[in-house]
Amino acid sequence: MHRSLFNILSGRNTRQGLWGLPLVVALLISVWLTVETTQFATAENLFNLIAQAMPLIIVAIGQLVVVLIGGLDLSVGSVISFTTAVLSLDQPAIVLIPAVFVLAAVIGLVNGLAITRFNVHPIIATLSTQYIVLGFTRILRPVSGGTVPDIVITAVSGSFLGIPFPAFWGVIVILAAWKLLYGSRYGLHLFAIGGGIASGTESAARNFGVSDRRNIILAYVVCSCFAAVAGVFLAGRIVSGDPNVGLLFELDTVTAVALGGTQLSGGVGSLHGTVIGALVMALLANGMNLANVSPFVQTAIKGGILLAVVGLQSRKKMGL
Amino acid sequence: MAAVLSNPIARRLLRIPPSYFVFIVLLATLWIARPNMLNLNIMGIFVRQIVPLGILVLGQLVVMRVKSIDLSGGGIILLINYFISSGSFPGASLPFFVVLALATGLAIGLFNGFMIGNRRVSAVIVTLAVSIILVGLVQFLSSGNPPGDVPKLFNDLYNTKFLSVPTPVLFWILLTAAVSFLLSQTVFGRYVASVGENAEAAHFSGVPVQRTVILAHTLAGLIAAIAALVQTGSIAVGSVRVGLDLPILAVAATILGGVVFGRGDGGVWGPFFGALCFALLFVVMTVLGIDEPGKLIAQGVIILGAAIFYGVRVRNP
Repeated sequence: MHRSLFNILSGRNTRQGLWGLPLVVALLISVWLTVETTQFATAENLFNLIAQAMPLIIVAIGQLVVVLIGGLDLSVGSVISFTTAVLSLDQPAIVLIPAVFVLAAVIGLVNGLAITRFNVHPIIATLSTQYIVLGFTRILRPVSGGTVPDIVITAVSGSFLGIPFPAFWGVIVILAAWKLLYGSRYGLHLFAIGGGIASGTESAARNFGVSDRRNIILAYVVCSCFAAVAGVFLAGRIVSGDPNVGLLFELDTVTAVALGGTQLSGGVGSLHGTVIGALVMALLANGMNLANVSPFVQTAIKGGILLAVVGLQSRKKMGL
Repeated sequence: MAAVLSNPIARRLLRIPPSYFVFIVLLATLWIARPNMLNLNIMGIFVRQIVPLGILVLGQLVVMRVKSIDLSGGGIILLINYFISSGSFPGASLPFFVVLALATGLAIGLFNGFMIGNRRVSAVIVTLAVSIILVGLVQFLSSGNPPGDVPKLFNDLYNTKFLSVPTPVLFWILLTAAVSFLLSQTVFGRYVASVGENAEAAHFSGVPVQRTVILAHTLAGLIAAIAALVQTGSIAVGSVRVGLDLPILAVAATILGGVVFGRGDGGVWGPFFGALCFALLFVVMTVLGIDEPGKLIAQGVIILGAAIFYGVRVRNP
């Protein structure tokens, strides 16, 4: 017992990475906020916290999928904005909701194909799609406006048996991701491919009959679709389309993923760690809002956290 | 496709940086659409606008040659613009600002280099994080409003001409020649090339890989500071948004110029024409009535297209 607790806290000898420590950090922040401010431990604020944390948790899970194979998706922020813009197009929900997922899948497919078929570095591929998608978003919706279908708004603002709907979103997304990563052949393949890439033998998984190309393409499609889910959620929250709502999400998700003990070089990471990482980010944002910290300083602090958590990871490769 | 790529003539053509082709295409487009715009005066103005980008490209290409990337240029430009325009240093002279800017760029570049070379953190993440920290700080210090005016001398210098060529353009060409000399004629240039080709082999051949990467990033920071000075001279006011899209354009221009992570086929003049392509591209798009979103899409398509162009080539050597 003692031994395994030590292993969890230090992240040693595990495929899951260091996730115990961020959990402790999250608890410490919660305790501190409860003691320091009277508003934190209220039902209203906790409901807000869940609703605020949910988009980040959802996108971070998507980001985790590509990070596990040693990639990175910088286009998630644009996909979120794009999704809200499409949803505000004044068409029936039955058309719009499937449309956003098809479009997100296409974006993921472009990323995946560029990376695997055309040998483009993941960062460059997703950086370019980030700009392309942002451009289309601005064409659809130059400034925020429009209204999204009622069903989307109800799906995030209602409650059932006193439990707000956002909590259900979280449970469903986390269960689906759990099944994908730990309960399917695909999840196993992701870890295998990532482990090979991290140790510098990219053909390792292929030698055992795991098609790395197809799985890598699928990982980017999955990541984009998770971003689209978050986009639908956010569209319901803000009730309109906003071309800037996804801004900086790519960095926040990377921070959340890295904070949860996932190695950015691939192969090592966990779903629960990522969820905890995203919760830490949300708690920090919530605490800073309660303490009236300027939004500009909040951005700078987030950047500092990103530098710190990624700086503490060791890896062999230098450069990109 | 493979058959076409293995053709010797096609392979020779593929060695030429895409920026030259794009430059010719854009020039032809402009010539067809607006022949009267192709005179030295008008072109001088357009090219002058692109000089900060062109200078930033020089730093970008050095770090991209060592398989790294620098996206912190936007933050550096914003911070230096804030220093100059906020009035935090009342009565300071031009040399003071120049030294301050260079020191700032040097320090940030050194920090990037240390994190990337020594701590081995992903370059994208380090430089993006540094950039958002700087942007956040500047916006906080200026409460989100443009700070103030820039000393008049900056804009006066920017507007000078030498033999009917705008001085900033001349300065850019000289700086490009200097970087070209640095990369092709000095030991540091050799180190950069060998680290980019194969860092491991370079290490075992006695090349100080880590120091080369750190130095490359320091140089990029310094060059970003120079770009910041020119950019500040060009807009002549303080701003909280200036230069934020420049790093990504610099990456695009560098890739377009034939320098892709570790490969330096385009030399220094390929990316130089890459930056010129963007000068022309913005003119062409303005002429054709394409606005902001179209420019974003074009940037993305250019980066992806050029990267695919190289990816295909690397896979079929």
